[in-house]
Amino acid sequence: MEVAGRKVAIVGMGGAFPACKDITIFEQNLFAGKSLIRTWEETKAFGKNIRSNVSGYISEQEMDLEAIYSTLIEGYPETYVDHLGRIPDANLATADVGSIWAMLGSQDAIKMAGWNREEVQSAQTGVVMCSGSAGNTVLRTAWNSFYEKGQKTRLAGSHAVDRSMVYREAANVSCLIKNRGVCEAIGSACATGLGNIGYAYRLIKYGIQDRILAGGIEATSLESFIGFDAMQVLSKGFSPAESSRPFDVDRNGFVCSFGCGIIALEEYEMAKARGAKILAVIDNYFNNSDGDGNMFFPSFAGQKRLWEGLLAGHVIKPEVVKVHGTSTPAGDAIELLSVVDVMGESGYHISAPKSQFGHMLGAAGAVELITAVLMLEQQKVLPCLNSNNFNQELEPFQNTPDWDGPMNPINHYKHLISSQTVEKEINQIVCLNYGFGGTNSAMSISKHD
Amino acid sequence: MERTEILAGLVEILKTVRMIDQDKLAFITEDTDFIADLKTPSTEMINIAAKAEQKFDIEFDDDDIDDLGSKVKDIIDLIVATKERD
Repeated sequence: MEVAGRKVAIVGMGGAFPACKDITIFEQNLFAGKSLIRTWEETKAFGKNIRSNVSGYISEQEMDLEAIYSTLIEGYPETYVDHLGRIPDANLATADVGSIWAMLGSQDAIKMAGWNREEVQSAQTGVVMCSGSAGNTVLRTAWNSFYEKGQKTRLAGSHAVDRSMVYREAANVSCLIKNRGVCEAIGSACATGLGNIGYAYRLIKYGIQDRILAGGIEATSLESFIGFDAMQVLSKGFSPAESSRPFDVDRNGFVCSFGCGIIALEEYEMAKARGAKILAVIDNYFNNSDGDGNMFFPSFAGQKRLWEGLLAGHVIKPEVVKVHGTSTPAGDAIELLSVVDVMGESGYHISAPKSQFGHMLGAAGAVELITAVLMLEQQKVLPCLNSNNFNQELEPFQNTPDWDGPMNPINHYKHLISSQTVEKEINQIVCLNYGFGGTNSAMSISKHD
Repeated sequence: MERTEILAGLVEILKTVRMIDQDKLAFITEDTDFIADLKTPSTEMINIAAKAEQKFDIEFDDDDIDDLGSKVKDIIDLIVATKERD
């Protein structure tokens, strides 16, 4: 149950961002309208066996990390070296790349929040974060050693489990910061990032924790990339910067990207009492499932119910709706129409930051919440790159007997989406993310007065 | 193979285990305790054993690793015994 009067503030942010050294460079690049999507050379080594070659990836070198490879298993990263000395060796030994990003992002978020050691190590401080991960180098090479090469299990050493278990990022962050509150990971595919932050919001709202580091991670991983490549759902036929094009009539898939977003949440009155800079206040969080038995296809009805749950009992009238906007043909159309169905045809803008950095999978919701906070701070709507031409015909599903949504073509709503940065007064932003399995998440955040 | 030669080989292995305080390797003897003296996490012992198998071209029995003590002399004894057995 919610505790009356308890509110949740966002007081810190950190993470790992494609082609950006830190969150400041990330912010500058976003509002300069730059694309962070590049040709991923690693994919080219596989020739015609792989379909897509573009990604918003982050290399180990860009994060000042270096893998130390095992002498026992070829290609097996035994541990990593942090060339900037930010993470102790003992913590690096138990971490995969994503866990290292999560630890670095957590350090930055704590620093921005201004939490002291006593607060960080309190029983009232939690860690709630997860990746959507479909595999990583650690697991692949360890399995390959055992199954394909017939080698003893011990050649993989002691850290195959802690570097591949579901909640590895949360566990590694918790061991680094030594908090005494909850440590959990909530998986919900591409809604994971926002889902973890939403769950953390509830833990504070319900009086269970006072502070939480929450977020989503998706470490650069060809193992994850190839699964989507196999599904033929990745963008094809455009230059890297033009590959992610939400709502554009020529969109043909998403750009599989990687990153990490960590948010420091704190009970509002506590943050205010210690004079913290409050970046935003969470108005509400709601999540649900489509309930139609479809693993992949988005549900207009499910998204409408998501909005109803978010709005219930709250004053939510955002100037910006930060959509999931993956650049997939069906997903973008249904999402736009569900937003219009609830929000009407004017009075707000739609922002789709995946146009600039692609789809970070399990990190998407967290990194995109960071972009929403930045939009609140800058009072600017991020551009939706490559959204140039909109379908002037009805979508196929709009012509089916069951369709009960808006009956205009997507082009009718073109004015809601700008390919340029828009300066305007922004007091409230709604963030939306969805995932395979028909899971939907929504969060509303407001500017702090 | 002499025990001093094995010890030198073990030090080379320990240099690759980043969780061990590398400064202490200069003073390592057969009486050094991996866990008490070098602060080696117990989970790292399996890494050390696996690397010793590779370095000295031997294969330990699983039971021998299970029973392995935490002193440097324990693993040297095991290496010597395994070499003699093989």
